[in-house]
Amino acid sequence: MSDHLTRTYERFPLARRIEHWVMMLSFVTLALTGLPQKFSASAISIAFVGMLGGIETLRIIHHIAAIVMMLGTAWHLLVFGYLAYVRRTRMTMLPTLQDAKDGWRALMHNIGRAESPPQMGRYTFEEKMEYWAFVWGAIIMGITGFMMWNPITTARFLPGEVIPAAKAAHGGEALLAVLAIIVWHMYGVHIKRLNKSMFTGKMTEEEMLHEHPLELADIKAGMAEPVLDPAAVRKRQRIYLPVATVLALFMLLGVYGFVNAETTALTTIERQAPTQVVFVPWTPTPAPTLTPTAEGAVPVPSGPLTWDDTIGPMLQAKCSTCHGATALGGLDLSTYESAMQGGASGPAILPGDSANSLLVTVQQAGDHPGQLTPEELAQVIEWIDAGAPEN
Amino acid sequence: MRKWFRMTGSQLGLAGVGLGVFLLLLVMVFSATSAEAAPPSQGDQPTDEFCLGCHQQEGMTAEIGGEPISVSIDPQLFEESVHGTEDIACVDCHSNITDFPHPEVTASSPRDFSLELYPTCQQCHLEQYESTLDSVHQDELAAGNINAAVCTDCHNPHTQTRITDNDTGELLPEARVAVPLACAQCHSTIYDTYQTSVHGIALTEGDPNVPTCTDCHGVHDIQSPATNSFRNSIPALCADCHTDEDRMAQYGLHTNVLDTYVADFHGTTVKMFEENFPDQPTNTAVCTDCHGYHDILEVNHPDAGIAFKQNLLVKCQQCHPDATTDTFTDSWLGHYEPSPQVFPLVFFVNLFYTIFIPLVLGGMILFVLTDVYRRFIVRRAPAAPATPAEGETNE
Repeated sequence: MSDHLTRTYERFPLARRIEHWVMMLSFVTLALTGLPQKFSASAISIAFVGMLGGIETLRIIHHIAAIVMMLGTAWHLLVFGYLAYVRRTRMTMLPTLQDAKDGWRALMHNIGRAESPPQMGRYTFEEKMEYWAFVWGAIIMGITGFMMWNPITTARFLPGEVIPAAKAAHGGEALLAVLAIIVWHMYGVHIKRLNKSMFTGKMTEEEMLHEHPLELADIKAGMAEPVLDPAAVRKRQRIYLPVATVLALFMLLGVYGFVNAETTALTTIERQAPTQVVFVPWTPTPAPTLTPTAEGAVPVPSGPLTWDDTIGPMLQAKCSTCHGATALGGLDLSTYESAMQGGASGPAILPGDSANSLLVTVQQAGDHPGQLTPEELAQVIEWIDAGAPEN
Repeated sequence: MRKWFRMTGSQLGLAGVGLGVFLLLLVMVFSATSAEAAPPSQGDQPTDEFCLGCHQQEGMTAEIGGEPISVSIDPQLFEESVHGTEDIACVDCHSNITDFPHPEVTASSPRDFSLELYPTCQQCHLEQYESTLDSVHQDELAAGNINAAVCTDCHNPHTQTRITDNDTGELLPEARVAVPLACAQCHSTIYDTYQTSVHGIALTEGDPNVPTCTDCHGVHDIQSPATNSFRNSIPALCADCHTDEDRMAQYGLHTNVLDTYVADFHGTTVKMFEENFPDQPTNTAVCTDCHGYHDILEVNHPDAGIAFKQNLLVKCQQCHPDATTDTFTDSWLGHYEPSPQVFPLVFFVNLFYTIFIPLVLGGMILFVLTDVYRRFIVRRAPAAPATPAEGETNE
């Protein structure tokens, strides 16, 4: 008994297993690099993106994984063509009405409303559901992915609105696929019973008995594989090889076009840093012209050299801003009396002694903020030497 | 002889107040004049009236390094300025001047004089002064650009009126309006552009909500807007105001602009980018790439409003030069949230998945739960004679 129960049957040849692992890896990579883009506001996404070296790197990885998946799909189609046309393999993956009945019966059995579980063939309704969900997903993701990858090309043929719609569908479908894998695939293949056939390629007779009893029966009856005429197979091989080559080339070309249709949608041209000249002073304030007092703007008074006639008005005009009522330095030159009194530094005017009069020495030094013209100063000196008469 | 002593007294007076007072007295004795002739002073410092005695003259000039400089002070304007109202004296800033003649100016030019004197501001405005040390202006200055703004270029200390409310510390409305004028002194072309923008026009009309220069660029620690980090921070910057319900309601503007931006292609990228690498360059569009910065217009501006496809396309082409049909512009949702009326296709795709995902997943979970129930609960239950029999039949 135990002998025939431990007998194994090949379920997946190595090539199919490699195909599965390649698709699995690209799927996981796509999910891990895609979902953070869908949920970009989440802290987990941000941390994950940072870990991978940024959103640009993330997208490059996502695109590479997408290319791998496209190539895997192309390979799958070629293998399908080979099995269907050359090997005349039975279309055991096609969904039938029986699958719906099996599903219903499984549900009824689970809740105790059916005596036994459904008896199923090579692919159970659960497996077919997953396979066709993947086909559906691949089509949706491929089309919408193309639209996002090549928005300019897409907008040439379709309204621009399909691009954000494609983004919405890509994200929605992704979420659906990931959740379905987690719930359906994880439970069905890993949790309810660890199905190792994708690792070993084999199933024991006991496993076959539980999961694929109809296939086991077919195998035992020699009906699982069609009886092939080797000559006919070789003939079909000769036909299929060139067809497959052309198909493969077209599909590779398709992938190439997918990836390279346009460049500026993904790698946009560099932003030009603003090259504006920033320092443009606003109509510069005109530089002030020097105080005109030194240039004799006030005409030199003429007349007798007395305070009242000439010197007083002259000093009034030239000096009174500082040495008037405000009496800067104590010197007030607005009246004869205050002028003769002098300021904090001493008498400004020493009658008859212009050489020692501060008014003259300060002016002669030449660095006083208010300067008399040489003519005016000459008049002042002459006036002082004449005894500085008031009138 | 007298002059020598007087000069000495002034110079040493700077070194120590006490010594200064002493020497000043000495000067008075030597000069042998009456005490009342001494400059009217606050202690040993000349009063504002004393300074204004000369400096209130209009058109009064002096020379620094051969360049004329106005040394006239309008007493009226100073009186009304914040320094005037706060009784800040001339010599509080011009602290080296105690008398006439003034000590010799060592600066080589009027600009040099300003650069020598402006650190005086930190006596009272330490916080603002230190803030400017982190600014692009200070960086430029340190790099040798003497035109870079210092305190007194923006705030003429002789005429600057109060900027902030004394109680609340908030910027006064009239000060907000005046900000661009301060910046325009050096950035006149930018000012001209800003004046024609939707923000600039409104500001000039006295609108208290629109951004003035400092709202985007900061006040004292103004950063270079040409850096990557500044560019990456632009969406958050604009969102400060544009997600403010109360403020936007006054203009009938939506506040969902940030959310819709982040949800769309560009925004997702910039958001993720900005979070991880705020100082790295990205060429993904931020607000200003489409809306402009100093020249921001209303989106429905008749000439260049980007609500019009042909105007928006020009913006798209800045980065996507291959985009030549204006159907491409519809790939951008224009800050709209898809609805049955606007971008219905997007709306219905979203709706489909909103229904489809729970439906499919719900079905799957339900089935899995029944399987769990049979497999792990019923089978392990001690009183379940039916299930072992099943194994027997298979045998």
